Amino acid sequence: MTAPQHPVEMSLDQCLKCNICTTACPVAAVTDLFPGPKYQGPQGGRFRQPGQPTPDHSIDYCSGCRVCNMVCPAGVKIAEMNARVRATLVEQGKVPPMQRLRNNLVARAATLGKVAQPVAPLANLALSLKPARWVAEVTLGIHHQAPFPPFASQQFGDWFKKHPRPTNPTRQVVYFHGCSTQYYEPRVGRAAVRVLEANGFEVLIPPQNCCGLPLLSNGEFKAARQYHKNNVRSLVEYARQGIPIVGTSTSCTLTLKEEAPELLDMHDEATRLVAEGTYDFNEFLLLLHEEGRLKLDLHPIPLTLAYHVPCQYRAHRLGRPGTEVMNLIPELKIIESQAACCGIAGTYGYKKEKYAIAQQVGSELFDFVRQVGGPVAICDSETCRWQITHATGVPVVHPVELLAAAYGFELESPLAEVAALQAARVG
Amino acid sequence: MRHIQTEILIIGGGATGSGIVRDLALRGFKTVLVERRDLATGTTGRYHGLLHSGGRYVVRDPQAAKECIEENRILRRIMPQCIEDTGGFFVLTPGDDPDYVPRFVQGCQQAGIPCEEVPIAQMLRAEPLLNPAITQCFRVPDGSADSFLAADLNAASARQHGAEILTYHEVDRLIRSEDCVVGALCHDLVKDENVQIDADLVINAAGAWSGAVAGTAGIFVQIIPGKGSMVAVNHRVVNTVINRCKMPSDGDILVPAHTVAVMGTTDIKVDNPDQFGIEPWEIRLMLEEGEKIIPGFSGLRLLRAWAGVRPLYNETKSGYAAAQNREVSRAFVLLDHEERDGVKGLLTITSGKWTTYRKMAEVTVDKACQKLNTARPCRTHLETLPTPEGHGGTGYHYLGMRLAHIEHEAEYGHLICECELATEADVTRAILQGEAKTLDDIRRDARLGMGPCQGGFCTLRAAGLLHQLRHPAVIEINVALRDFLKERWKGLLPILWGQQLRQERLNEVIYLNVLNVDHLPGGKASRLGAEMYAPPAPESSPPEAQRPAPAEPRIPSTSHGQPGLDVLVIGAGLAGLVAAWQAAWRGQKTRLIAKGWGTTHWGSGCIDFLGYDSPEATRPVDSPLQGIRTLSSSNPQHPYALAGEALLAEAISEFQALSTEAGYPLHGSLDKNWLFPTAVGARRPTCLAPETMLAGDLSLRTPMLIVGFAQCPDFYPSLVAENLNAQAVFASDLLLDLPSLRSRRFVTGMVLAQLFDTPEFRREVAEALKPKLANAARVGFPAVLGLDHALEAMHDLQERLGVPVFEIPGLPPSIPGIRLHKMLIAEIEKHGGRVLDGMQVIGAETEGGRIRAVFSEAAARHKPHRAEKFILASGGILGGGIQTTNTGYAQDTVFGLPIDAPPARTDWFQPEFLSAQGHPIFRAGLTIDQRFQPLDPQGQPIYTNLYAAGGILGGCDPLRERSLEGIALVTGYLAGQAASLGAKQP
Repeated sequence: MTAPQHPVEMSLDQCLKCNICTTACPVAAVTDLFPGPKYQGPQGGRFRQPGQPTPDHSIDYCSGCRVCNMVCPAGVKIAEMNARVRATLVEQGKVPPMQRLRNNLVARAATLGKVAQPVAPLANLALSLKPARWVAEVTLGIHHQAPFPPFASQQFGDWFKKHPRPTNPTRQVVYFHGCSTQYYEPRVGRAAVRVLEANGFEVLIPPQNCCGLPLLSNGEFKAARQYHKNNVRSLVEYARQGIPIVGTSTSCTLTLKEEAPELLDMHDEATRLVAEGTYDFNEFLLLLHEEGRLKLDLHPIPLTLAYHVPCQYRAHRLGRPGTEVMNLIPELKIIESQAACCGIAGTYGYKKEKYAIAQQVGSELFDFVRQVGGPVAICDSETCRWQITHATGVPVVHPVELLAAAYGFELESPLAEVAALQAARVG
Repeated sequence: MRHIQTEILIIGGGATGSGIVRDLALRGFKTVLVERRDLATGTTGRYHGLLHSGGRYVVRDPQAAKECIEENRILRRIMPQCIEDTGGFFVLTPGDDPDYVPRFVQGCQQAGIPCEEVPIAQMLRAEPLLNPAITQCFRVPDGSADSFLAADLNAASARQHGAEILTYHEVDRLIRSEDCVVGALCHDLVKDENVQIDADLVINAAGAWSGAVAGTAGIFVQIIPGKGSMVAVNHRVVNTVINRCKMPSDGDILVPAHTVAVMGTTDIKVDNPDQFGIEPWEIRLMLEEGEKIIPGFSGLRLLRAWAGVRPLYNETKSGYAAAQNREVSRAFVLLDHEERDGVKGLLTITSGKWTTYRKMAEVTVDKACQKLNTARPCRTHLETLPTPEGHGGTGYHYLGMRLAHIEHEAEYGHLICECELATEADVTRAILQGEAKTLDDIRRDARLGMGPCQGGFCTLRAAGLLHQLRHPAVIEINVALRDFLKERWKGLLPILWGQQLRQERLNEVIYLNVLNVDHLPGGKASRLGAEMYAPPAPESSPPEAQRPAPAEPRIPSTSHGQPGLDVLVIGAGLAGLVAAWQAAWRGQKTRLIAKGWGTTHWGSGCIDFLGYDSPEATRPVDSPLQGIRTLSSSNPQHPYALAGEALLAEAISEFQALSTEAGYPLHGSLDKNWLFPTAVGARRPTCLAPETMLAGDLSLRTPMLIVGFAQCPDFYPSLVAENLNAQAVFASDLLLDLPSLRSRRFVTGMVLAQLFDTPEFRREVAEALKPKLANAARVGFPAVLGLDHALEAMHDLQERLGVPVFEIPGLPPSIPGIRLHKMLIAEIEKHGGRVLDGMQVIGAETEGGRIRAVFSEAAARHKPHRAEKFILASGGILGGGIQTTNTGYAQDTVFGLPIDAPPARTDWFQPEFLSAQGHPIFRAGLTIDQRFQPLDPQGQPIYTNLYAAGGILGGCDPLRERSLEGIALVTGYLAGQAASLGAKQP
C-alpha cells in the first residue's frame, strides 16, 4: 500500500525539508504525540517499503486536515501519504481490534443513520444520556463529550420525495446530499433544493451512499472503495450527460473530485467523469452567477457573522467561494476566521484519545466565533459545525441556509430563532 | 617522532585492510592498521553497495562467480547487520541480446547460484516502476551491503582482539632494510607528527594506492586505477537489486542501499587515484541506461553522485603471473614480494571486490602465517561480527529499522540528521566512541547528511554538538563545518538541477544568508578535509539544452473565472506579499495566489539590503546606500539600479511605517548596516532588524550571555559564544535544562515561540536564568521569543531579568520571518486583498501580448484567475519560480519565459560551495525594464500587463550580496506600484 512508487509517495522527492509544513500543522502545535507532517510524510516515506511491517505508530495522530499540503511550497502530498500509511497499518492488522471497531463505527454514519434515525427519539435519548456516553467511551473509545448531533425526525430523502416540485424547470442538476443531510441536518438539503429550484433547476437525487471519506481517513480503504464504486456507478450517467453533480458537504464533494480516485488508485473513465462533473455548492452558484443566471433577488440579512472555511473546503483549492456567494446577500457582513482547523477533522475528534487534542486545535476558532458573537456562525462542513456548536454553544449553519433565507424561503431552526431575521421579514 | 613496534602492519583501512586486521587479530597476531583518512574513505566507501550473488560474473568470469556466491553465504551469516536481504533481479531489457540468457542460466547452475525465472507480471508487482517492456527476469540472492558499517565492525572486532587501528595516518614510505621491508614511516595528520612503525611483516592493502605504496620500497607494482561513477536517486525507487542480463557493462546495476537507489557504474582508466572527476557524459549515461530499467528515470530527483577507483592490477612479470593463477582466483591478486621481487617482509593484496573481502583477507593471512612460520587457522567465517549499538536486532538490516527505533523510543525530537534519522545519541556515539575527527567521519558512522538536504540542516547541529562535547578551539569547528559543506557539495555538483538545485539554494540561504559561515574566523579548509573531484573536462560537443515539454493544457472545468480582479500576484514570498500589499493599499482589487509559503520562513527575519559589495570583501559594507551606489554604477541591470535611489528609500520608509503600525517595528536605515550575531556566532550585516534583535548589536562592547535550551537541537550557545569571543566580543554561554521542556517529545523553534508567548514560560525561563546572569549586560536567545506577542515577550523578559534581551536567527523555520509573513497578510487583507495558498499556477491564457488569465491547479479541475495586471513573484530557483533541467535548460515555471542562464550546465557553478564569486546559475533570471516588466530579447515587454519581482529577477545574486530581502522588498514594492499605476491613489 505504501509503495514509494505511487504518485502520492513519489511526491516525497519534492520535499526541501524546509519545515514550513511543520510550522503550519495545527495538530503538532498542540500535542507532541504527533511529530509533524514533514517527519511523517516525506521523511518517513523514505523508510517505508511495501511488504515490510510498517514502523509507524505516531501517524495515527495525523488528523488529515491537509493544511500541510496547502502551505508546502514544493507540492508534496503529505496528507495523502499519511492516509495511505494509515491504510497500511489497518491492512497489516496493526490497529487494535477494539479501536478498529470504534473507527468503523464512527466512520459509518450511513449505517448508523439507517439504523438509528427511524427510532430517532430513542437514539437521541441514548446519545444524550451521560451514563450511556460513558459506557461508549469505556467500551468503544468514543469520547463521552464528542459532539453527536441529534438524529432528524424525518430523513431528507423522505422530505424530498414529498415536497412539491417546480412546475417548469429549465435544467437539471444532481444533488449529492451526503449522510449528514440525510440523517442529521435535512434542513441543509431542504435549503439546497429550494435554492436550486428557485434558480430553475429540476433537482435529481439518484441513489447514493456515503462518499467514503470517513473510511478513507480511518485507513479502511477496502470499504471506501466499495462505497466510491457504488457512487460512481450511480452518478456517472448524469456526468456523461453533462448534468452537474453538486453537493453541500465539502468533504463529500472533495472525495468525489479527488480524494477517492487519488488514494484508492481509481483512474477509470467513469471515476474521472464523476470527479470532473462534481461541484461544491458555492462553486456551482458562482458559475451560475458568472453566466448571469443566478437569481439575485435577495432580501437583506442585517447580520455580522463569523464564517469558518473548513480545511476540507480549502483543499478544493478554489479560493473562498462561500464568502463570495454570501457577499451577494445585501447587508450580510461575513468575517472569515483565520484558524487553520476546527480540530474535529471528520471523525478524529470523536475518539477518546484525540478528543482533547481536537478541542485544543479548535480553540483559536472557538475564541474567534465567541468574539464575533452573532446569533449563528457559518461553516460549510457538517462535523465542523457540530464541533463549533459543541465548543461555543453557538448554532452553526451552512451558507446555503442563509441564501435560502435571503431568497425568502421559510426560516428553519436555528435561523428561525434569529430575531433579526424575523424582524427583517416583518419589516 | 613516535615509535610503534608490532608484528604485522596493515596499510589501508578499506574493506580488505579491515578484513585482514580482524583476521590477524582473531588468529592472535599483534597488529597495527594505518589508514590515511577514516576507515572506508577510499574505494570501499564509494561503491554501489552490491553484495554480489555472483550472477554478474557467471559468463565472463565463472571463478569469480563461484567465489562470490560462497562469500555471499558466509557474509550473510557473519554480518547480517551489514546486509539487507533485497534479493536481485537480472532483467532482459529491450535491445539486450536474448542469447545471453541461456548462457546466464547455465552459468548460474555451474557456479551454484540459485536462480529462478520470475514471471513479468510478478516482477512488476514487486517492482512497479520497472520497465514493462522487460521480457525476462531472473531472481538471484543478491543483497545490499553497508560497506561503512562493515569496515567499522571489522575494525571493532579486531580492536576487541588487541589490534590497533590508526586512522588519519598516512604512509610516507615503507622502511626497507636491504632486501627486507621492516616497517613504515607514517604521518599522523591530526597531530601533525611523524610515526615510525616497525613490523615483522607489512601487508599492503592500499587498493588503488598499493602501487604507490610498494613504489616507496622500490618495488614496481602496476596498478591501473579504474574510475567508476555512480548516482543515487533520492529514494528507493526499487527494493530489489536490478541487474541487466547481459555482459557486465556501464550503468547496468541499480542497487537499493539504505534510503536511496544507486545507479552504477562507469569504468574509466585514470592516471592517478587521487585525481579524477565525474564527467557530464557519465551522468548522462547513467540517466540513459537508467531509462532502460525504469522509464522516467532521468526525471527522478538525484541526490548525489560519487566516484571510486577500482585497483586494476596488471602483472608485469610474466612468470610470476602464471604462477599466481594456480594459487588464487583471478578476481583478486596476492603478491608475495619475496617470491616476486626478492624483497622480504611485504605482501600486497589488491584487486577483488567488496563481496570477497573476507576471502581475500583469509588468503592473505594464510600467506602471512606461512611467512612467519606459524599455522593458525582462519576463524573469520565462523565468528559473527559485533552488533553495533543502537542497531535494532541481530538479523538482516531492513529499511524501516531506524524509523521503527525512533517510533519505539519516540526519539523524533532528538534528530540531528532528519533525512537519515540520525539521532543525537547516534551522533554523540560517533563523536565519542567512534573518535570522529571530522563531520565526515560522523557521516560514515551515523549516516549524517546523506539524505535529500545533503547536510543542509544537520551540518550546523553536528558542528554544535561536536563543540559541545569536545570543546576544541572554535576555529577548528569552523573549519570542520566548512570542510563538511565542501565535502557534501563535491558530490552534488555533477547532478545539480531541478529539485536538488532548489535544495542546494536553500542550503545557501542557511549557511550564507542566515549563518554567514563564510565569514566565520578560521581557515577555509583543513588538511583533514575531503579531496575534491577534478573539474570535468570541457566537452567538445555538449548536447543541446532541451526545453522541458510544457504541461499538457487541460480545458478548465470552471468557465470564466471571477471577473473584476485588478491585480493578481503569483507567489507568497516577501516580494509577492509586498507587491500585494502595495496593490491592495493603492485600492486595487488584489488577489495573491501561491503554491505554498515562501522565503519568509527560511530567512533571518531581517531585511538585508547589501552586506558585501564585492565577492572578495571580507568586511561588510558600513553603509548599504554607498554600496548600492557602487553596485548600481557597475551593474546597471541590478534591480536596485533599475529601481533608483529615491524609490528604494520610499520602499523602506513605507515598509518601516507599516511595521511600526503593525506593532512589530523594524529599525535601521540605508546609511548603516547593523552587525548581529548568527546562530554560529558569525557577525552578520543587515539593514533593517526587528526590535527583538537590536540588543545583539555587535558595535556595543557590553558582555553578553548566549542562552540555549538543552532539548532544542537547533541552537548551540557554546559555539556562538566562543566564536564571538574569537572576534573580540565578550560572550559566555548557558544551556538551560528546564523541567517543563524535559517532558516534551520535541522542542522545536515553533514550540518555543509559542511557549514564549505565555507569561508562565517566560517566568520559568527568567527564574532559571537570573541567578546565572553574572556580569552579562545582555542576553541572547535563539530567535524564538514569541510568535504572536514577540514584543511583549521581549519586554517582559527584560523586565524580569533586568537586562536587555535579543534574538539570534538560525535554522529554518524562521520565527521572525513568520512574523513578517503574518504581518503582511494581515495588511493585505485589511485593504481588501486576499491571500490564497495551495494554488499552483500551471498555465495562462494570453491574447495579443496580454495575459487574460492564469490557471491554478484545483481538485479535479483548473481554476481560472482573470485580472487586469499580473505580478510574477514566484521566486527564483529556490522559490520554484525558475525550473531547471538536467540538459541545462532554465525557464520561468509559470509562463515559460526564458531565463538568461549560462548555456552549458557545467558553467552554472563554481568549484566550491562557498566560492566567493557565487554560482552563475543563481544570477540568472528575467530581464526587466524600469517598470519591472519582463523583456524579450529585443528589449520589448513580453506581456503588456505582466510585472515581475523578487527572486525571479536576474542581474544579481541576492545571497552572495546579502540583499535577499532588500531586493524582494524594493522590487515587490515597485511592481505593486507599477501594476497599480493609472489607478486611483489612496
